[in-house]
Amino acid sequence: MSVAAALDQIVQAARLDPEHVFSAPWEARAFAIALKLSEAGVFSWDEFRERLIAEVAASDRVHERDGTSDHGEYYEHFLRALERMLDDKGIVRS
Amino acid sequence: MSENHHDTSESGPVARVKALETLLAEKGLLDPAAIDAVVDTYETKVGPRNGARVVAKAWTDPAYRKRLLDDATAAVAELGYAGPEGGHLVAIENTDRVHNLVVCTLCSCYPWPVLGLPPVWYKSFAYRSRAVSDPRGVLKDFGTELPSDVEIRVWDSSAEIRYLVIPQRPAGTEKMTADELAEIVTRDSMVGVTNVAAPSRRGDKSKRAGK
Repeated sequence: MSVAAALDQIVQAARLDPEHVFSAPWEARAFAIALKLSEAGVFSWDEFRERLIAEVAASDRVHERDGTSDHGEYYEHFLRALERMLDDKGIVRS
Repeated sequence: MSENHHDTSESGPVARVKALETLLAEKGLLDPAAIDAVVDTYETKVGPRNGARVVAKAWTDPAYRKRLLDDATAAVAELGYAGPEGGHLVAIENTDRVHNLVVCTLCSCYPWPVLGLPPVWYKSFAYRSRAVSDPRGVLKDFGTELPSDVEIRVWDSSAEIRYLVIPQRPAGTEKMTADELAEIVTRDSMVGVTNVAAPSRRGDKSKRAGK
């Protein structure tokens, strides 16, 4: 099965089940990239989690200040954490 | 659909992920085919069905239940469930007096091997903040109303420790086998936002409160 087909399936499932874990194909891709790179030892999952927590905390502070809730933007934080990690390691410049 | 919706940088997430994939593949750090495999694994092999089998076994096998409460990581490994984010698992049991609710206030720590990846609501600001400040209200959102004398315990997950709620076995399921019981255990009940309902009679769809 191609990446596109696999990810189409995910989105299909997400439509059938609103509580599904991914809302768009790029979210599943971003997750898979981070997992694979940590398995390959490019960075550790703990290191990545630290950055993810920082991204989420920054967003939480904005929500707290503005009294807003989120629109399911978790994977935007996830992607930002991944980009920052790869930038810090000098692997991919953001 | 515009890819530039909710943009936080020059280009949208779709383009950014694609760019990362391309660059990482060029550097030999990422095999694009491996992405398929990851997606497939987390779609089909790792998920709340694993946890449901753990709970059903705990309901039907007292010795297993004891092992699960003593050392959940080892007990789920007996059934072959292990992997990333699976270490340091603690099983917590609902009783007539105590109802357990799991959250990760910092991000999204969650026991992947038994529950798969966390659902969207678990990662939301709303759930993460309200599970701590108003757990009874959160349960109500999920259609779960508990008697006022039931204590609600909120467990905050972390990198060091993950939780699996063992929901109460519903009355009227005494004749069901472990396999049949595993069918009625839901992911939400293992996070603690709902209880397990006894299976309704055929054709009688039990109503689920909207969230």
